[in-house]
Amino acid sequence: MHSLNRRGFLGLTAGLSIAALAGCGTAEGPTSAASTPRNGGRLRAAFAGGGAKEVLDPHLANLFVEAARSKALYDKLADLGPDVAAQPRLAEKWEPDAGLTRWRITLRQAAFHNGQPVRADDVLASYARILDPGRAFRAKSSLALIDLPNSRAVDDRTVEFALKRPFVEFPNVLAAFGAYIVPAGTEDFTAPVGSGPFSFVSFEPGKSVLLKRHDGYWEGAPHLDELEFVIANEESARANALLGGQVEYAHDLTPTTARSHAAGDRMAIHRAPNSAVQAFAMKLDRPPFDNRDLREALFLLADRPQLVESVLAGSGQVGNDLFGKGYQHYADDIPQRTRDLDKAKFLIRRAGAEGLTVKLDTSTAAAGMVEAATVFADQVKGSGLTIEVVTGNKDSYWSDTLKNGSLSSFRSGAMPIETHIAQRLLTGSGTNVTKWARPEFDALYDKAVSTVDAAERDAVYREMQRSLHTEGGYLMWGFADWIVGAAPNVGGISTAPANTLDWARFDKVWLG
Amino acid sequence: MKGVGWLLLVVPLALALLGPWFVPDELTRGAPFMPNSSLGTDFVGRDVWHQVLAGGQTVVLVALLATVSSYLVGVPWGVVAAMTRLRIVDEVLMRPLDLLLAVPSLLVLILVAAIAGPGLPVLVGVVALVNFPDVARISRAAALEIAGRPALEAMRLQGETWWRTSIVYTGRSMLRTLAADLGVRLTGALYLVASASFLGVGVAPDAADWAVMVDRNRVGLFIQPWAVVVPALLIVALSVGLNLVFDRALRAEARS
Amino acid sequence: MSLRRYAARRLAIGAVQVLAVVTLVFLLVQALPGDAAVALAGDNPDPRRIEEIRAAMGLDRPALDRFGSWLWGLARGDFGESLISGRPVAEFLHDGLGPTLVLAVLALVLLIPAAVLLGVLAALREGGPLDRAVTTVTVGLHSIPEFALAVVLIALFGVQLRWLPPTAVGADLLGQPAVLVLPLVVLVARPLCSISRLVRAGMIDALASDYVRHARRLGIGVTRVRFAHALPTALAPAVQQVARTTDWLLGGVIVVEAVFVIPGLGTILVDAVAGRDLPVVQGLAVVFAVTTVVVNLVADLLVFRLAPRSVAIA
Repeated sequence: MHSLNRRGFLGLTAGLSIAALAGCGTAEGPTSAASTPRNGGRLRAAFAGGGAKEVLDPHLANLFVEAARSKALYDKLADLGPDVAAQPRLAEKWEPDAGLTRWRITLRQAAFHNGQPVRADDVLASYARILDPGRAFRAKSSLALIDLPNSRAVDDRTVEFALKRPFVEFPNVLAAFGAYIVPAGTEDFTAPVGSGPFSFVSFEPGKSVLLKRHDGYWEGAPHLDELEFVIANEESARANALLGGQVEYAHDLTPTTARSHAAGDRMAIHRAPNSAVQAFAMKLDRPPFDNRDLREALFLLADRPQLVESVLAGSGQVGNDLFGKGYQHYADDIPQRTRDLDKAKFLIRRAGAEGLTVKLDTSTAAAGMVEAATVFADQVKGSGLTIEVVTGNKDSYWSDTLKNGSLSSFRSGAMPIETHIAQRLLTGSGTNVTKWARPEFDALYDKAVSTVDAAERDAVYREMQRSLHTEGGYLMWGFADWIVGAAPNVGGISTAPANTLDWARFDKVWLG
Repeated sequence: MKGVGWLLLVVPLALALLGPWFVPDELTRGAPFMPNSSLGTDFVGRDVWHQVLAGGQTVVLVALLATVSSYLVGVPWGVVAAMTRLRIVDEVLMRPLDLLLAVPSLLVLILVAAIAGPGLPVLVGVVALVNFPDVARISRAAALEIAGRPALEAMRLQGETWWRTSIVYTGRSMLRTLAADLGVRLTGALYLVASASFLGVGVAPDAADWAVMVDRNRVGLFIQPWAVVVPALLIVALSVGLNLVFDRALRAEARS
Repeated sequence: MSLRRYAARRLAIGAVQVLAVVTLVFLLVQALPGDAAVALAGDNPDPRRIEEIRAAMGLDRPALDRFGSWLWGLARGDFGESLISGRPVAEFLHDGLGPTLVLAVLALVLLIPAAVLLGVLAALREGGPLDRAVTTVTVGLHSIPEFALAVVLIALFGVQLRWLPPTAVGADLLGQPAVLVLPLVVLVARPLCSISRLVRAGMIDALASDYVRHARRLGIGVTRVRFAHALPTALAPAVQQVARTTDWLLGGVIVVEAVFVIPGLGTILVDAVAGRDLPVVQGLAVVFAVTTVVVNLVADLLVFRLAPRSVAIA
């Protein structure tokens, strides 16, 4: 049921062209009442969710609604800023030793909702809970780098982490999805106590969670008195509830909905660019894409503006076969690839692949993938190569395409470029879809994460991206905007990419 | 007024069966939900008119095939159960169906389709499977009602064969109930096919198919309503036309 | 056979049916590609993480073993716990039953009189404009999928005209009945057709039958013949169709709950299937199977009363 698939990240079914909005996030529609911050009121926010999966344990968070709720109730030591680089949160500052294996974290003066201060012991206990070998919390693999037995609380507000290897990007670990700090010893989350900007009032699973302002929040109390999360799995239902005045904030709308209502006075549209990358993944360890010419031919056959226009309904930007447009360390100096049919034909001939038919595996596991595959198959026509779109089972799609086939649809949400490389592009990476396994590339990664000097490190990241751009297996054709609708009187909604700190963050939001 | 039923039936049928011949080979692709010379563009920027021409065939074929198969199995099943003199045969035939009836059909649809994967044959099979217990049950009820009629008792007493009493006479008398059911059942099959896209069953999400069009283009209802309204009206017209024509034929038969 | 013995026998068969349904659903869910661990792990998951989740959920135990212990629990009235959230399945069922029951009961209360009325009217005016109008409208409604009808109704009455709330987000269903109007219209629209058509066909048949003609010859009044003699016979097939409608209602409920945001059993079922949360799917299958069996039983008992000959063999 595609409409009921709540892992669907981009509800893109259709759309528009208002959004030639380059680079920056923009709010469309009426904004007058929302221009000056005002305190008070209850904001109702509609998210997709799932009755069965809904839990208030922040370490179990998986869905967007769970991430947004966890963020309102809890804090992490660090979180991702608008450029998807880690910035301090509960950690006031971090200092590595010269060998980058011991990190001293100073905690902020912060308190849980019950008045207890946030102590070093809470941090260690939270991380120990996530790393429990008997459990499978999402942040576990990110935190696995920490040598917990050798880490210690120096005093109440200082933690010293020991790492298993030198790692300059340790703040990315502190910002990992789900790495929230809970009071030491917490196992019962029926009435959760955190240190976040809102405290818990009530929970009806599958229906709503009500929170209220935490006046003692370390970053200053929120504007809102109360915040209510309601669940509406259908995109149209979220939009309709907003139009009917039943909610004030509707998360994850389609470009078409945005276009339908942007001109009216009942909905303001907020777009967060570069939130999700759309791609095709070629496998390098098997024919036909073990041939570099053929990979380049495919790069040159993609008509990226058309893909963005039809598949993302214009609500996005073209990609340059590299992850993380607009993020820290992104190699923006590499020229944008454009379609070149003649050169592609030549490369296909040179590879001896004329008349070859390649299967493109896709599925409805993420919205827009099948449509993109169909459009791309059309674009390849006349090049000598034929692409046959094969729609597979959506439920086993990711594990199927990790192992089988040679060309598949791919999409990913925002994460730091370092994390993307570590998870997908090293010889030992767990989700190396393109089978990019090169010792010299692995060595560059090791060098980057042990280089203290920021400029020098940036140069290494760029070098890695250059080799990915010329020889890699990801054809990243576009970046989709994230679209949120709100009542016209709602102010303070950020347009940072989804999965970052300011996305779905309600302590800075007000009702005008 | 008399021709309304036929008109409603023939227009969508003709579009469905002949439409694919008139679709140009080179499909143009533009921005989604924009107006153009005819019906505008759809959710991935394709021409809605071309999609309407290409998209009727699968809907009609799947609904038809599924209904025919459910009748081919269901009617004999029900009649045999009703007419048999051995209670055990009735039990053996009908109890497993009660079992199928006790599983919600949408649950069956979702589960079977998820296991079998996408594909039109799967859709035909699932729709037929969902319908066939119903057909069998209604056939049995209708046949039983007839079996109790004095005319049949009289035929039995006169020593007519089991075959003549049970199959020929009963079959003919059941025709009205079955025909009334058939019209509705075809409509129901059309509905199931149309819902399949919403449920993500059986068809590609960007297939040229009236039912898929209704589902996928509904987000653009406020901007470009034709992409939803035209295929939806065609499905409705087909159903209404079918039933009006059936009713008329039945009345004509009853009068003669 | 007496009504009582008939009922007792059917109840016993019903219990076997429920058991068979639960087994069937278990097998089907087992055969589904992916399991709860895969569903929970989300996009681009690391295979190692899937293994960890699988172990943490106890999915590495053999299927038969898990089914056995679940059945044993069920026998003691324990529905087990959700694989994903760890909450008792009974809680899910309890939370979802209320809204779904409200929808289903109100829909049936509206549906049955309306369908019988339309069917009888159409039959009495067979071939006339009223008959054709009723046919056109009911068949038209029958062929539109619920989601399409709902989308149009919401766009028109909820968003453009603003007469009715477009969704039921955060509403108390019985406290704010306005939120129920559109969902009920959508729910009733489809079954209205099949039931009224069956009543119509049955009524036409009955009116033409030998025994109604005989009754007329005996000098019984037209109205009395129609409603005391023809109607009950005509209702027999329709009653069984009403029983089937509980199943359709459930299908409709899945869509209606999603589109109007009503947190009932339909929503829970879809979530549970998507998440491969087997204990929850199983618990729902039990509830649905029991309901269907009971409703069909009641229908058959009614038919037994209305037209005893038709169940004489059963």
